Amino acid sequence: MSEVLLAQLALGVPLGAAGLLAAVPMLRRSGKPAAAVSVLAATASLACAVMLLLGRLDGGDAVVSSARWIPVAGSTLVDVGVQIDGISVSMALIVTLVAWAVQVFSVGYMADEEDAAFGRYFTYHSLFIFSMLTLVFAPNMLQFFGGWELVGLTSYLLIGFYYQKPSAARAAVKAFWITKAADMGLLLGLILLYVFSGGFAWTAEITAEQATLVTALFFLGVMGKSAQFPLHIWLPNAMEGPTPVSALLHAATMVAAGVYLVVRCDPLFEAAEATRTAMMYVGGFTALFAACIAVVQTDIKRVLAYSTCSQLGYMICALGAGSLLGGYFHLTTHAFFKALLFLAAGSVIHAVHSNELKDMGGLAKKMKVTTAVFVVGALALSGFPLLSGFFSKELILEALFESGHWVPYGFLMAAAFLTAFYMGRVVLLAFFGEPSEKAAGAHEAGPSMLVPLVLLAVPALGLGFLAANFAAICGEAYSFHLTPTGVAASVLAVLGLVLSYLVYGSKTIGEHAFSALRPVAQLIRSGAIDRFAASVYSRNALALGAFVAWVDRYVVDGLVNASAALGLNAGRKLRAVQTGNVRDYVFVLVLGTAVLSAWSLLS
Amino acid sequence: MNEADWVAQLGFALVGVGLVFSATRVVTSDNLVRSVLWLAVTLCATAVLFLMLSAPFMASIQLMLYTGGVITLMLFGVMLTNREAGVVVANERNSPKRAAALAISVFAVFAAAIIGSRDALPTRPLDATAVTTAVLGQSFLTDHLLAFEVLSVLLLAAMIGAVVLARRRDFGEPSGRRVKKKTAADPGAEA
Amino acid sequence: MSLVGYLLLAAALFCIGIYGLLTRRNAIGILLSVELMANAVNINLVAFAAAHGDHLGQVFALFSTAITVAEVAVGLALVILVFRSRRSVLVDELGELKG
Repeated sequence: MSEVLLAQLALGVPLGAAGLLAAVPMLRRSGKPAAAVSVLAATASLACAVMLLLGRLDGGDAVVSSARWIPVAGSTLVDVGVQIDGISVSMALIVTLVAWAVQVFSVGYMADEEDAAFGRYFTYHSLFIFSMLTLVFAPNMLQFFGGWELVGLTSYLLIGFYYQKPSAARAAVKAFWITKAADMGLLLGLILLYVFSGGFAWTAEITAEQATLVTALFFLGVMGKSAQFPLHIWLPNAMEGPTPVSALLHAATMVAAGVYLVVRCDPLFEAAEATRTAMMYVGGFTALFAACIAVVQTDIKRVLAYSTCSQLGYMICALGAGSLLGGYFHLTTHAFFKALLFLAAGSVIHAVHSNELKDMGGLAKKMKVTTAVFVVGALALSGFPLLSGFFSKELILEALFESGHWVPYGFLMAAAFLTAFYMGRVVLLAFFGEPSEKAAGAHEAGPSMLVPLVLLAVPALGLGFLAANFAAICGEAYSFHLTPTGVAASVLAVLGLVLSYLVYGSKTIGEHAFSALRPVAQLIRSGAIDRFAASVYSRNALALGAFVAWVDRYVVDGLVNASAALGLNAGRKLRAVQTGNVRDYVFVLVLGTAVLSAWSLLS
Repeated sequence: MNEADWVAQLGFALVGVGLVFSATRVVTSDNLVRSVLWLAVTLCATAVLFLMLSAPFMASIQLMLYTGGVITLMLFGVMLTNREAGVVVANERNSPKRAAALAISVFAVFAAAIIGSRDALPTRPLDATAVTTAVLGQSFLTDHLLAFEVLSVLLLAAMIGAVVLARRRDFGEPSGRRVKKKTAADPGAEA
Repeated sequence: MSLVGYLLLAAALFCIGIYGLLTRRNAIGILLSVELMANAVNINLVAFAAAHGDHLGQVFALFSTAITVAEVAVGLALVILVFRSRRSVLVDELGELKG
């Protein structure tokens, strides 16, 4: 099978499934059969992605197949199609694998939903796979943007899945609005790219200044989609969606789209010094900032959400430092262990029927598999030596070290310590210690939920050893060295874990030791950024909306009404001619005749 | 000749003045009956004019049809549509100014046209040979036979139409005999 | 006595008829004015017939007379009809066509 066909199938089958489910309400509302359709489509996509990857194990040239989409004055403005190279193929595998695992997990997790909602859920999932792959395989930036917006839509639909809950509906709107505001930057960047280079290709011949401008605008979009400070505020709220959705969209794939954009546009970003510096600082700060917040969260999903935010900061920072492989490899490892963590958290939530850490405890005895995979994920996230996260973080930190930018480097190191600390805290609070009342009745999840967990644990454990292969697929070189930075990072991770044990495990250090940091926690919990964003929205966006509504009502409608009134008034005035008085009619008659006869007689 | 001309001119002037005067009385009289009678005078004056224009047959037709028939009809009409008791019928006029203006301007146009084309008009004396009835009759029955027949159809239609229009509305019953179906509470719903 | 005189006379009569047509409130008054106008036309026709020495004008005038008489008859019938249903022949009061 040709690569192009495989890519097209990977895209097309989920689209077909989504379309089928959307168009046939009876099928969609039937529950299990709808899920079967979607899972089958996901399986087909996964198979295609695997085959594509296997064909590209040692890199190879890019293959592009596209068809004309928007014609412009003879030539083409934009094509649609697929571009198959190492990066798109590897990303496709990540997307399809995690999506498949999440869909299988959802069959068990969402089993309590009623059939109509169940079917709707899987329709959205199929739509998501299609949208994400459109983005991944995009041969030009315009198709990429289309996929970008589509995944934004799917995210909205899935965050707001429990639309009857006001908080979920608001969270969906918040996510959509913030990412949309950021997307304006991306769109402006696209327009400028077209203006500068006459097209939307991934590589463009533009000057360094132009590249800086364009990439800066792109970065705005990335900040929104990948939840960097200060546009990160939608990600914690996005946890209102079902946990598998959080695993797929808001951990592994959708939020990684921003990072993917930077990876794809690497030539542009390479030329843009200023943007990259900004990326380092923003990414580094976000990494530390989000890690701090994660420490004081009580909701397990929120911890993981802020953790995602933090890790995305790592990726952005790495890309800012110029390490394409670092950023991209971390994206890959993060996708797997974060999805794993979320799904395991979902298993726990499903067992204790609560998201709060205080409702958990002592689950290690009752949920052995879940505990095991969660610990694996936590250790990978912390950068514990030999697990996948260790290798990817080491790449990043090494790149930062070599860039000479100490401030972001410091941020990332501190964040590494905190990451280990808060993950240790979560593990200890959730799985060890005394069970709460709700946790007492917990039991292990069913096979449909366990299989994906175990499946995802494999790359979380071992992907680090395949780093060289990964690099080869992407056309980069890699070999592992143990650097001082790597050692320092590992030490920090272990220290973090030990400290968490001391505080939450053996309780030798009481929480009151951190009373000095309490104001910080208060500040974090105050949600200042949220309030700022909300006020911007309510003052500016709503004011703009009110203005536009005024224009619509008084100008646009006003024109229509005025013309109608003109017609009516003219009619009313003209009606006066019809006096009903015979003599007036006769007068006009005679007058007309007189005029005509005068004209004919005298001319 | 001059004398005869002069007499003829005087006669014409008298008849003309009389005609205009009586026509004015037709349109300005408050009493409708008087208006009708002044119309009779006008029509008679017209008949005299016809005589002076070598059209004796026309004159006699004018007297018979118009002065006899039409005036009678008008009088009947006036009597039948009189709302109040008494012969005097209210007959005010409204907006005379604009009507007068229009009438005068039309007259001015006609006068201008007539006087302007004075040279193009034929100059035969007008009362030379009287056109006889025989000539007219011949003309009707040969050259204008079709129009003549159509005219008679028209007159028939007008006659029937007038009868149908003015008939009373109780269908199936001739207007003369009223069957005593109408109850006391409904005395003659039609006027 | 010349043709012009007759023509002017006919024109004057016609215009008097117009005046009456426009000012009369009573429907029968209007009919009278129409009579005047028809009369004026007849004078015109006969005058031209005399001037041309040809009786065609008189034939035309006879036709005109006949038609005018028919019109008067029907017109009066209509006036009586209107009077029956509206109890009035004053044209000012017949204003149902008012826009």
